[in-house]
Amino acid sequence: MTTMNKFFNILRDTCYICLQELKNVFRDQGVLIFLVVVPLAYPLLYSWIYNNEVAREVPVAIVDLSHSHTSREFTRMIDASPDTRVALRCNSLDEARQRIGRGDAYGVVYFPEDFQTRLNRMEQTHVGVYCDMSIMLAYKAIFQTCVAIQGELNSRIQVKLSGNYTDRENEITTRPLDFQEVPIFNNTAGYGNFIIPGVLMLIIQQTLLLGVGMAAGTAREKNNYGFLVPIHRRYRGVMRIVWGKAMAYLMIYVVMAAYLLCAVPYFFNFISLVTLSQLALFSLPYLLSCIFFSMTLSAMMRYRENVMLLVVFSSVMLLFMSGVSWPQSNIPAFWQGVSWLFPSTFGIRGFVRMNSMGATLTDVSTEYRALWIQTIVYFVLAHEVYRFNIAKARHAIHHRLLRLRLQAVSSSEDNQS
Amino acid sequence: MTQTKHTDPLTAEQGEGMQTPAGRTGFIAVFLRELHIIFTTPVYLICMFLLPMFVMVFFTTLMDQGQPNKMPVGIVDLDNTVTTRQLTRKLDAFQNTDVVAYYNSVDEARLAMQRNEIYGFMYFPKGTTDKLLASRQPKISFYYSYTSLTAGALLYKDLKTIATLGSAGVGSATMQARGYTQKQIMAFLQPIAVDLHAVKNPWTNYNFYLTTMLVPGCLMLFIFLLTPYSLGTELKFNRARKLLLVAGDDKWTLLLGKLLPQTLIFLSVFYLYSLYVYGILGFPHSGGTFHILLLGLLAVTASQGFGAFMFGLMPSLRMSMSTCSLWAVLSFSLVGTAFPVFAMDPAIEGIAQMFPLRHYFRIYQTSVFNDFPLSYAWVNLVAMIAFSLLPMLVAGNIRKAMREYKYME
Repeated sequence: MTTMNKFFNILRDTCYICLQELKNVFRDQGVLIFLVVVPLAYPLLYSWIYNNEVAREVPVAIVDLSHSHTSREFTRMIDASPDTRVALRCNSLDEARQRIGRGDAYGVVYFPEDFQTRLNRMEQTHVGVYCDMSIMLAYKAIFQTCVAIQGELNSRIQVKLSGNYTDRENEITTRPLDFQEVPIFNNTAGYGNFIIPGVLMLIIQQTLLLGVGMAAGTAREKNNYGFLVPIHRRYRGVMRIVWGKAMAYLMIYVVMAAYLLCAVPYFFNFISLVTLSQLALFSLPYLLSCIFFSMTLSAMMRYRENVMLLVVFSSVMLLFMSGVSWPQSNIPAFWQGVSWLFPSTFGIRGFVRMNSMGATLTDVSTEYRALWIQTIVYFVLAHEVYRFNIAKARHAIHHRLLRLRLQAVSSSEDNQS
Repeated sequence: MTQTKHTDPLTAEQGEGMQTPAGRTGFIAVFLRELHIIFTTPVYLICMFLLPMFVMVFFTTLMDQGQPNKMPVGIVDLDNTVTTRQLTRKLDAFQNTDVVAYYNSVDEARLAMQRNEIYGFMYFPKGTTDKLLASRQPKISFYYSYTSLTAGALLYKDLKTIATLGSAGVGSATMQARGYTQKQIMAFLQPIAVDLHAVKNPWTNYNFYLTTMLVPGCLMLFIFLLTPYSLGTELKFNRARKLLLVAGDDKWTLLLGKLLPQTLIFLSVFYLYSLYVYGILGFPHSGGTFHILLLGLLAVTASQGFGAFMFGLMPSLRMSMSTCSLWAVLSFSLVGTAFPVFAMDPAIEGIAQMFPLRHYFRIYQTSVFNDFPLSYAWVNLVAMIAFSLLPMLVAGNIRKAMREYKYME
């Protein structure tokens, strides 16, 4: 009976703390912004920014000194390609260069005077492609288009020279070994499809860090003595406090995660190859580890606004450490180690592979295990940090009480004398 | 809730008139007071020196290779002949790829990709060589993934080169057997050749390309956040009236005295970054020193201007900092380095102009990375100067806030 009672007490206290934390979140505009508004609004903004997915019709400048049939055909094909368009025709390379400086084009295709002459002489001829390297996707579009056109024109020339009889012979002459390019998973090469899944996962961790950190800063500021945990009869066990708070955040973030990881890809037609049950299984340790991680760090926040100074900048770095932008195999060992500290690293890796590449939970078992380990480690840390804070608070109160008593005693002594 | 509870060590010290000699007011006094605050508050030191240095070191060391080298790829070779093995060896020899595993079927290789063991693979079906020798046009395939755009693009390049080389090898062998010269063979196999000139970055070094946007973006993020923070904490810690007193109730003295020390510190950090990447790491900077120095100055003042403007618009510490965080984080997308602005929706193209980092990047691109005169980016220069001057519009409002407002949560 007493154990039942005790259990019931613990449950009641935990629920009380959970409810209290929920009230705090929804009363505090600052926290509400980070825990609710940002996770709702940011994905929409990002999806809008990357809605076009690919860079089409990149402007190219043409410098045609050859004025020949082939150079004009090449130019027409550049214009007709989906990724590029002919924006300018210049009379010299220098003129084209100046126009690039003014942002009118991102590359130059240069046909030297002897372009056609050399072809007629049965010599190899050259076309110069000059790219502005400050925007990689523009460079990629121009260069790949030119290589594709070059291949097409070369085949035509080969067919003309070979003197074959049938189409089949032509095919074999131009490409004796045929090949097929298969961009599996993200088959549109879309930028949104590539970056958004990682960003969605990162938003969960970063908003939790900001929201929980701000709530902790506020709790300290509102507390008369600058303590993290209020002095209240229900806030007595560390376990209850940590779980009570964690449950409050988990309740909010289960909804947010469903929105971020299921609804957003659905709204914007991003790749989504993951099944709901697998996703739920994977997100649970991710959410828990993020929550405990945030609670651990939040104890260090002295003022509510400081959390913004210390958290916002890390987003880009964490995205890079997850191996989305820069391949995981090429992250130096030291940064690999650092990246293991953050739940986002494993969360993003696992989610991208499940969501965009159709992996199952077994395929991401490394990440899945790492997330559970992080959950445990950060739970213990959060527990310790809270215990330390509570002990410090008790100590401080005890001291204050002692001092008051001493004062009382000394003043009464004064009175007596 | 009452505000008197926020006890800050500085308030107490200032009560004694510690760092400003009693009764001294004016620009110098505000300037010294601000310096004192900065050097005695750990969070300023962390965000002005420690974290910016960390960001610099992080990105430059992370992408130290320049291009991702030796990315793992797999081979599904059901043919297993001299020809296919030769192609495999050639692929392995490329800089970006490393053949790490052989699989018995496409399914196995696909599973390996899902387990992140390889980033792509090449598939030679059975009978490839036989068909090749019999002129029956066999078909090989290569699989790569754009779930990581950088890895996908680089692997695509290598895999495609190998696939094309296969054809060229056959053509070359046939023609050699017929007695053509090497020159004739080249002229037949590749009548038109593309000469690529990757201007200023012939190595396609991603470190040059990304670090020069990411690190300034992070530095500007800190300025975005610290400017409203430094103004707002005056209210929060009940120092605002004291500040007004020291500033002699003059809005320009207040604003300049408060912001100038930060300008100098941020500027030195920004120049340190410039010295590190251009001077020590040798990033391309054909635009020259003057452009680098000017751009650094504009980046710092524009970000400060924007931060102070946001605080003037809404003199609430939290709201102005939240808006600045939003702006700073969106900057990384709207700067248009990775995904170009011209490819975004027209509405976003317009919105992007409201982000100082966008203009920073345009000036960098025009006059530092490429060697064009500043006049080619005059629109962006004007925009950066306009950002720097924005606080003029709200200077009065900031003084009013210091005088009347209370810290709002």
